[in-house]
Amino acid sequence: MSEHTTLRMEGILKEFPGVVANDHVDLSVERGEIHGLLGENGAGKSTLMKILYGLYSQDAGDIYLDGERLDLESPQDAIAAGIGMVHQHFMLIPRLTVAENVVLGEREPATVFRRDAEDSWLPAAVRNNSLVQSLAGQFSLGLDVPEQRIQDLADEYGFDIDVSAKVWELDVGQQQRVEILKALYRDVDLLILDEPTAVLTPTEAERLFDSLERLTDEGLSIIFITHKLTEVDAIVDRVTVLREGQNVGTAEVSSVSRADLAEMMVGREVLFEIDREAVDLGDPVLRAREIRASDNRDIEALSGIDLTVRQGEIVGIAGVSGNGQKELAEVMAGIRDVTGGKLEVNGADITGAKPKTFVENGVSFVPEDRLQYGCAEDLSVMHNATMKDFRNGRFGDRPFLDYGELRDYAETLVEEFDVRGVSDVTETKAGDLSGGNLQKLILAREIYRDPELLIANQPTRGVDVGAIEFIRETLLEQRKAGTGIILISEDLDEIFDLSDRILVVYEGEFVYETTPAEADRERIGLEMTGGGGDDGGETVASPPQSGITQGSES
Amino acid sequence: MVSFIAGLLDATVQAATVLLLAGMGELISERAGVLNLGVEGMMLVGALGGFITTVLTGSHWLGFGVGILLGMVLALVHAFLCITLKSNQVISGVMLTLLGTGLTTFFGSGWVEESIDGFPQMTLPLVGQYLVDIPVIGEAFFRSTATDYLALGLLLVVWYFLHHSNLGLEMIAVGEDPEMADTMGVSVFRLRYLAVLIGGGFAGAAGAHLSLAFSQLWVPGMTAGRGWIAVALVIFAQWRPRRMLIGAYLFGLLDALRIRSQSISLTLGPDAPLAGVVNPVVEFLMTPQIMGTYPYLATILVLAYAVIRTKSDQLAVPSALLQSYSRETD
Repeated sequence: MSEHTTLRMEGILKEFPGVVANDHVDLSVERGEIHGLLGENGAGKSTLMKILYGLYSQDAGDIYLDGERLDLESPQDAIAAGIGMVHQHFMLIPRLTVAENVVLGEREPATVFRRDAEDSWLPAAVRNNSLVQSLAGQFSLGLDVPEQRIQDLADEYGFDIDVSAKVWELDVGQQQRVEILKALYRDVDLLILDEPTAVLTPTEAERLFDSLERLTDEGLSIIFITHKLTEVDAIVDRVTVLREGQNVGTAEVSSVSRADLAEMMVGREVLFEIDREAVDLGDPVLRAREIRASDNRDIEALSGIDLTVRQGEIVGIAGVSGNGQKELAEVMAGIRDVTGGKLEVNGADITGAKPKTFVENGVSFVPEDRLQYGCAEDLSVMHNATMKDFRNGRFGDRPFLDYGELRDYAETLVEEFDVRGVSDVTETKAGDLSGGNLQKLILAREIYRDPELLIANQPTRGVDVGAIEFIRETLLEQRKAGTGIILISEDLDEIFDLSDRILVVYEGEFVYETTPAEADRERIGLEMTGGGGDDGGETVASPPQSGITQGSES
Repeated sequence: MVSFIAGLLDATVQAATVLLLAGMGELISERAGVLNLGVEGMMLVGALGGFITTVLTGSHWLGFGVGILLGMVLALVHAFLCITLKSNQVISGVMLTLLGTGLTTFFGSGWVEESIDGFPQMTLPLVGQYLVDIPVIGEAFFRSTATDYLALGLLLVVWYFLHHSNLGLEMIAVGEDPEMADTMGVSVFRLRYLAVLIGGGFAGAAGAHLSLAFSQLWVPGMTAGRGWIAVALVIFAQWRPRRMLIGAYLFGLLDALRIRSQSISLTLGPDAPLAGVVNPVVEFLMTPQIMGTYPYLATILVLAYAVIRTKSDQLAVPSALLQSYSRETD
């Protein structure tokens, strides 16, 4: 404890039915620092911060801010105490303007009623009357003065935001800056950021880091929740690590290594390197030729893609997000219609077939958006685990289902894939699982049915170190079992570590093909951004067994 | 012909007021995220309560006030069930409509014979006497009951309240994303209660207007589905007060036409070409029962149009409609 300490949380205990989310956690934050809160998904980071923001109330323990004990009943109390929070899922109303989102709850009266209005025709005595203030705060709304203030704040911190724009018109990075503006507008001293980079591109993340440093220069203290070690290195001053609801230590970032932090987080040594055994390639499981497809806005997203995947092969697809990866994955999984081309799985032409046909032909799919497409949030773990297989007769005689068998199956999956946070497979909802555990459940469902082809779109995005390791190993095991795998990832390391063959996608076309052994990272980076295509027809290399064929027919 | 149109417009204005009052209440409630399918019941309770009060005291304004109050009482039940107990809004609403219908049929049976001095037709002060002389529309729009004028005035208030006051902004926020509103220090609980109570008050007022100004008598079940049309009207208006004005008059016109459908003859003469085909179709379309479905058909068309024209995330339906909220169960 030092005189610089601004926040102290002591012995915070929070229990949910069946789970101790925070087990007597201590946390102290110094003024003007960026304090990292590191831990795996489900380690209790968000719970601790929701307590600090008054959203949850602790079962035991005390919170002191600048030496004063806080009794936080609601976010209102936290805001009044000078605590702001930027939530992982944005707390913005798309249909309202930036200014409306920011001033919500502040009761800004119409300009004539403002105490600080200079040219109001209302006498100051009337404006200062508390009843007038209260009525004006409820029944009028003035956005002119607040808009100016928000614009000033935005300019001060270099945010390019149009305060009168509707929030849905902004991109994700801008929306996050609106979130930060919400806190700044309320003059917070302590800002909590819950995994702020999860939704950002690397460039946007850099910008965020710059902004955060400017904020701490102004004397703000920041708590930065993350499970990414690189971010801790990049921006954090001191870090507190949580594991299974307990504080396992606080350290100066400069004095600990990444490996130490990873070990603190996971509780055991973490292997950053993966062993990839050689596997013999078998017959092609997927043959896609001249595939064309449009995105949700009806703009062509895939412009004639050829792709062949063989048994036991992982084809890594690298590219900057938004170059057709999502559409590619969806086309291969059968949930997006092609506008041209031909798709064969194990020799059967299933172009234009229903998703169900794809499933029956052994296609498995791990979608990018776990919550929206990967699971039914409100259904149980059991329902989610059996969702793709309940029709095939293995769970009792059709049309009846044997719930005992469904349950056993789900329990097997949960156990074998180490899905944590499941108290009862029939009770726990899939949406209540943490990101990494939900991803393991989805992977389990897709892999346990022994697929011929597995499409994994960003399988490790937003999940913690332990789960990443597990997911990557699982993919490699599945490769050994003879499944053909399409791995789409924005993480180049992941592509390099896992793939047998690397394809770079740019604007809906494969522009470069290589293997990890002979790959040149710089070249890949160039190709990803469209900078490598000017040396004629040489862009597509053709190693043996290449799935890419230039020209009309192979 | 002119007198027919004037009469039609007069009936339109009267029918529109009922829909406007009930619709505004429903609009406010839904903008805060609570669907109120109990409007029909709340209207009936307001109609009977207002009627009995006026019979007993002779004051139609007192009756109007009691109607509002009774609508709010029923709405309080809805609010308690849906907001505090987080039960299903649809079930609670339908249950309240059934309850309101049942209660008023039972307690109202003795009041069917009574007659009252309801809201008189009046002209606006100062300019009213000149406005009435406008041909065709003058009588319809400028010789009306006080509640007709009141409804139009309230529409302005509702529009201002929702879009130009802090409480309105907070109410919209609560209907869009209660969790977000909560993190901004807005009391979801209080605002939703407020919205549902205001909604019930409007429904009660609509009912009271029906028995005290529109028909000036009490008949069990006299709302005749207007509460449901009000629910449809909110969708038709895409949750916007300004469009509600258009919708209320359009639906009012359809209602007025329905009542008069017997006296309208749109059939072709027997010698006209295709008369044998067209006439039965026109006659079918002009049956009062078929005409009663037009407001709903119009709503379906508007909804389909809105969905086709805009992406669903821009549709005006409040994002958190039907969602209950509590802090620690996410």
